[in-house]
Amino acid sequence: MNHLTSDELIDAMEGMLDATRQQHLDACEACRRELAELSSVLREARALNVPEPSPLYWQHFSERVRTAVDAEALPSGGWPRWLRWPALVPLAAMALVVIALMVSAPTPVDPPAAVAAVDANPGDVALAADSWVMVADLVGDMDWDTASAAGLVVEPGDAEWAVLELSANEQQELTRLLRAELLRAKS
Amino acid sequence: MDDAALVAATVSGRRDAFDVIVERHRRVVYQVCYRFVSNHEDASDLSQEAFVRAWRGLKNFKGRSALSTWLYRIAVNVCLNRVSAKTPPTEPIESTEPFEDTRIESAQRTLLREERAAAVRRAIAGLPKKQRATLILRTYHDMSHQQIADILGSSVGAVKANFFHALANLKKILGREP
Repeated sequence: MNHLTSDELIDAMEGMLDATRQQHLDACEACRRELAELSSVLREARALNVPEPSPLYWQHFSERVRTAVDAEALPSGGWPRWLRWPALVPLAAMALVVIALMVSAPTPVDPPAAVAAVDANPGDVALAADSWVMVADLVGDMDWDTASAAGLVVEPGDAEWAVLELSANEQQELTRLLRAELLRAKS
Repeated sequence: MDDAALVAATVSGRRDAFDVIVERHRRVVYQVCYRFVSNHEDASDLSQEAFVRAWRGLKNFKGRSALSTWLYRIAVNVCLNRVSAKTPPTEPIESTEPFEDTRIESAQRTLLREERAAAVRRAIAGLPKKQRATLILRTYHDMSHQQIADILGSSVGAVKANFFHALANLKKILGREP
């Protein structure tokens, strides 16, 4: 009869060899020797253990994983960090102000001369665009924590607070500018 | 809270739920990694990388296997990708014999046994990657052939063949040791 195959030798080591092949194993010295040598190697390998790290290590390890994971995005593929609620709240407040102004806006009239002059000056528009490009280049790679540490982020309520800080004349001028801008957008 | 609930909580944004997953599985993941590299520093780095990959991939975890099996698969892949087939063990070998037994042994006998254990570690480190992974999962983590096949993306037959060749190669390598 044929000697045990590699699969059968593994089955024999694990006590899973079928009865017919077990009969061969019992009668075959070569197969028994092969099985004994493989079993001996397995025993030696099994005797190697893993040193247990100190209990303090596990706490340190969890902190390392937490730090590494914090640098990753949310697994649910959520919004970018800079677009989460701390930034969205003032943006939403500003949007509400603009909507309120749109609803309460009077019927269209000719824009004030000053506004028309600003619109008509392409040099000023180019300057403003250049300024935005420069600002975008400066802060494009900045993350939320860095911007927050530098005092550059908008906190909830900042927009409302800034409006309240304006003098009466400044508030009147802001209202005029916003209305003019709305009229320009409608036209 | 069971693993499935922790996964769901993590994916829904509960950051602390993932901390619990790490706490629950970190020891086993570390042990798998240690078996591949035989030193604490590398095992620690590989374990951390395994959990970071798990965090990235958790939204795609469908629960078709146990979370522990999924983490095993990630850890083994991290190790197989990173570890050279010839990584030498760099830490002293520890015996599994009870401490009382080693105290009554002669110093020479202890030394010989530790040298033999070091030789076994070197031999395991020199095995082809799939054979090494199979030997580690079968010998030290008591996984079934089917579980190992699932983790390594192979068949039960291939797992058995790899296990046999791992042992046969160890026998050959250790047979040449003095």
